[in-house]
Amino acid sequence: MLSQLTVAILNGIVWGLIMALIALGLNMIFGLLHIINMAHGALYMLGAVVAWYLIEYIGSFWIALIVAPLLVGFIGLVIERGLIRTIEDKPITTIICTFGIMLVIQHLVLIVFGGSPRRISPPIAYRLPIFDLQYPSIRIVIALISIAMMIGLWLFLRKTKYGLWMRAVVQDREMAVGLGIPVNKVYMWTFVLGSALAAFSGILAAPIVSVEFMMGREVLIMAFIIVIVGGMGNLEGSVLAAIMISLIQGVGALFVPPSIATVFALAFMIIVLLLRPQGLFGE
Amino acid sequence: MTNQKRESLHFIIPFFLVLLILAIVPFFASRFFQTFLTELFVWVLFAISFDLIFGYTALLSYGQALFFGLGSYTVTILMRKYGFNTELSLFLSIIIPILFAWFVGYFSVRLTGIHFVIITIIFAIIGNIIGETWTSFTGGSDGLTFSPHPFRLGLFQVDLVDIKGNYYFVLVIVAICFLFLRRMVQSPLGRIFISIRENEERARLIGYNVQRYKLIAFIIAGGLSGLAGGLYSLTLKYACASYLHWSVSGHAVVYTIVGGMGTLIGPALGAGIVMSLEHYLVDILMATDLVVGIVLVIMVLMAPKGLIGLLRLKFKRG
Repeated sequence: MLSQLTVAILNGIVWGLIMALIALGLNMIFGLLHIINMAHGALYMLGAVVAWYLIEYIGSFWIALIVAPLLVGFIGLVIERGLIRTIEDKPITTIICTFGIMLVIQHLVLIVFGGSPRRISPPIAYRLPIFDLQYPSIRIVIALISIAMMIGLWLFLRKTKYGLWMRAVVQDREMAVGLGIPVNKVYMWTFVLGSALAAFSGILAAPIVSVEFMMGREVLIMAFIIVIVGGMGNLEGSVLAAIMISLIQGVGALFVPPSIATVFALAFMIIVLLLRPQGLFGE
Repeated sequence: MTNQKRESLHFIIPFFLVLLILAIVPFFASRFFQTFLTELFVWVLFAISFDLIFGYTALLSYGQALFFGLGSYTVTILMRKYGFNTELSLFLSIIIPILFAWFVGYFSVRLTGIHFVIITIIFAIIGNIIGETWTSFTGGSDGLTFSPHPFRLGLFQVDLVDIKGNYYFVLVIVAICFLFLRRMVQSPLGRIFISIRENEERARLIGYNVQRYKLIAFIIAGGLSGLAGGLYSLTLKYACASYLHWSVSGHAVVYTIVGGMGTLIGPALGAGIVMSLEHYLVDILMATDLVVGIVLVIMVLMAPKGLIGLLRLKFKRG
């Protein structure tokens, strides 16, 4: 039991960190552009699929981890410049538009990649002994990479010019325009960064889950929930909420069927939405 | 008054003309095409019921799949497990979703904008998970089948196993619902819905209890979505848990956007066009959702008022 609990907690933290990255991308786009990106799950899936092809032809997981997010980030650039920019000020319209983009991405992948799930084998095969169980060490590595990514993101937002601009636009868009910040460009790069983050998390998740064209659908909803619970626009809140929810789901699944654990988590979300629409960690 | 009469004449003549054409179709068309049209009618009903809350009251609900699935399961489970007759099952496929819509709506209409969208998605996901998990009752993703017995409805003997009988049965019910919704949006109640869509703050200041009217719209739409689900199951003689998945609501969103929201006739037209596209392109492309997605994005960007909006613009100019 103790070893099972340890593994459940470890899995909860690893998955929570991956979810945190996905939610961060979603939340950055929301905080800045005020749009709900329904295609975010599809971009996460696209990251994993592109990585699968890269690994197939180049053979290195680590190269794929860097190249695939760049490619998906470029797709994000095309989506933002080509489609979303014209309707950025209408939140409901962007939901519908990104829903359409989600359908297109998912089904292009279905045509090219096929419908059956495929696996990306972990680049590190070593298994860590935990009590009487063997824990795949790649998961620890994935967790560490996620943490490094978050620290990098934090430094980017705090220490660079673009990060400062992004925070300024979130605080007061009008004032930012007045001060000469190229808001339009900040929007673009935020969307690109959010898309690349989604793809990056997709590749990190790939050795744990299987790669298939629908893998983003449920993740999208979980990411929404995390963003709400953590507070829309509140990035630190997203990280906390992601780890909290994944731990509750992971550990809860030891005692009740996983689907029941999810239903309770969702019912909890409804209560949070109704009583604290600004999120658990918002002011 | 005469103006209004003329306008309703402009509607009634084409409406019954279309109905007449659709009534003749089964004498010429293949059984396959008749089944396709029957399914199309069901989706038309789903789309126009969605139009009531989205097009007229400006509430984007991705939770309509919950009511659709509930209606579908009401018919299937009552007829398969408890031997209910068709009329009563179909009637309850409106009532039970209405009760659930009341519950879901009671909480949801307190939220606005994006929060409303997400809370409706969450309710639908809970429904879907319960449906997938409670397999002894719902059959899970494998679903449940049943076969309806013939029954007497007034002067007519209705046999839903017969494709033609099924066709007329669904056509008549959907046509009645269409007239009902059209009457409703033109009534004082419908005007209040529109005033909420146009300016919620002003509607509140005039003295309308905005949340209550949103709830009324949500409940009516939920009941009719349930009826659509019930008719869908009667057509396919089948229900499964994936009908409850929130993405099923996406169908209604697509049809409404393509046709033109807040027009009723638009979503019906949208359903016809998008489903025909899917139907005829399925042989060329295995992924019909690709076409749906592309059409949706193009319409949102180029013609946010849909095909009806485009047509109106053209008539005004010409």
